Amino acid sequence: MTKRYVLVHDENKCIGCQACNVACRSENNVPESVTRLQVRIEGPYGNFPHLHFKYNRVSCEQCENAPCVKVCPTGAAYVNDDGIVSINENKCVGCLYCVAACPYKVRFINPETRVPDKCDFCKESRLARGEQPACVSVCPTQALTFGDANDMTSEVRKVLDTKPSYQQKVNLGTEPRVYRIPSRRGGIKA
Amino acid sequence: MNNIWGSMEQYDPVVWNWIIAVYLFMAGLSAGSMLVAIGLKWYKQSRGLPTEGLPVIKAAAVIGPVAICLGMALLVLDLTKPFEFYHILLNYNLTSVMAWGVIALLVYIPLVFVFAALVFEKQVLHYAPWLAGVLKVCGQLEGSLNKLIFALALGVGVYTGFLLSAMISYPILNTAVLPALFLASAMSVGSAGNILVATLFFSKKESDCIEQVHRIEYPVAFNEALCLVLLFVGLNFSGPAAQAATAAITTGTWASVFWIGVVGLGLVVPVLASTLAPKAWRHSKGFLITVSCSTILGVLALRHFVVYAGQSYIS
Repeated sequence: MTKRYVLVHDENKCIGCQACNVACRSENNVPESVTRLQVRIEGPYGNFPHLHFKYNRVSCEQCENAPCVKVCPTGAAYVNDDGIVSINENKCVGCLYCVAACPYKVRFINPETRVPDKCDFCKESRLARGEQPACVSVCPTQALTFGDANDMTSEVRKVLDTKPSYQQKVNLGTEPRVYRIPSRRGGIKA
Repeated sequence: MNNIWGSMEQYDPVVWNWIIAVYLFMAGLSAGSMLVAIGLKWYKQSRGLPTEGLPVIKAAAVIGPVAICLGMALLVLDLTKPFEFYHILLNYNLTSVMAWGVIALLVYIPLVFVFAALVFEKQVLHYAPWLAGVLKVCGQLEGSLNKLIFALALGVGVYTGFLLSAMISYPILNTAVLPALFLASAMSVGSAGNILVATLFFSKKESDCIEQVHRIEYPVAFNEALCLVLLFVGLNFSGPAAQAATAAITTGTWASVFWIGVVGLGLVVPVLASTLAPKAWRHSKGFLITVSCSTILGVLALRHFVVYAGQSYIS
C-alpha cells in the first residue's frame, strides 16, 4: 500500500456545528433521507456546573481490516492502493451483508442506486483533484486533519505523533483509520 | 425527535429481517430432511433391510428440493437489486462465508433434485420418459451421490450459522456455537418435517418407519438445548457488551419468543410428548402431526429469535 489516508477528529476543537455534514451532502449528492457523515452531540457529561458534551463523528472508519470487505460475496466492497474502502456498484447485488457486518453502522443503501454507500474521503472528486475532503476544508474550527500517514512530513503525521488519540472499537481488530483526539474535559465516573 | 445531525433511521442495527430468518429456516429444513433420510437409508442398508419406498425418504425427496427453492426465491427477492443476482454466481470472494454458501448450494440444489428423481423414478419416467438414460446413470452412482449430498447438506446447515457468526460486532451472533446450534436445529426440523409429510401423504401404516426417526430426536434435542446453554453462558463470560446481550432472553418481545417458541414449542413439547404420552397415542396421525408441527414452529421461532435478538445487541 503506497498511501495510507487517515483522518483525525479533534473532539476539543469540534463544536458540533454540522458544517461537515452539510458540505458532505452537497459535495457527494447524498439523497436527503440518508447521510454519509454525522457529528452526534452526546451528553451532557460531568457534574453541574462543569457540564460538557461529547462530539462523536460517525462516518466510515476506513478499516485496515474491514469486515465489510471480508464478508462481501462478490468482491464489490474492496480496498485499493490508497487504502480507501470502496464499492464497485456493478458487482454489487445488494445482499446487505456489508451493511449488517459493519461494526460502526456507517453503511446504508442509497435509495437512488440501490447500492451500499458511505464516506470515501471524497476520493472520486476532491481527492482526485489534490484537494482535501469536503468536511475537512469546510470545518470552521479546524477540528479535522486529513492526509497520508505514510508521508513523514504530513500534517496528520505530526498531529498523531504529538497528541494523544484513540480509535473506536479497537477490540474488534478492524484497525480503523479515523483517529480521535479525546476531549480534555474529564470528570470521575462512578 | 429531530436531531440537529439528522435522521437516525439508517442506523437501525436490524439490517437482515424476517425474510432472512425464513430463508435460514428453509435451508435448515432442506438440509436436515436430507441428512435424516440419507442417514435412515444407510441405517437400513447396513442391517440388510429394504429401503425402497420408505415414507420418510419419499417425504425428504419432496421437502429437500421444495424447501431450498422457496428459500432461494425469498433470498433473491430480498436483494436490493434482485435482477442482478447473477453477479453473485460470477464473482467469488473466498473470504466471504456467503460465497462459500453459494458454491455449496450451486452443487447441492441440482443434487437434491437428482435424489428426488431417483426416489420417484416411476413417476418421473411416466411424465418424462426421455430422462431414462440420465436416471439410469444417476441410479448407478446413487451410493456416491448420497454421500456427496450428505456432506453438502452438512455444509449447508453449518454455513447458515457461519453466515451470521461472521458479523463480528453482534455478540449473540459472533460465536462458534451458532453453526452447531443451527445444524442441530436443522436436524430436528428435518426429522419433524419428514414425519409430518410422511404421515400426511405417504404413510400407509401408522408406524411406517417413523420409529427410527424418533430415535434421533432425543440426542438432537439434547444437542440443541446444550448449544443454547453454551451460547448464553458463553456470552456471560465474554465482556460487558456480550453480557448485556444476555438480556435478549430476559427482557422484551424476543425473550417471549425464546421461552415460548424456541424452548416451549421446540424442545419441551416434543420431549414431554414422547416421554409422557400414552403408548396408544404415539403413532396416531393426530399426535404425530401435532408434535412435528410444534417442533417446526419452534425452529422457525429460533431462526427469528437469532436474527432479530442477535442484531439488536451490538458491541
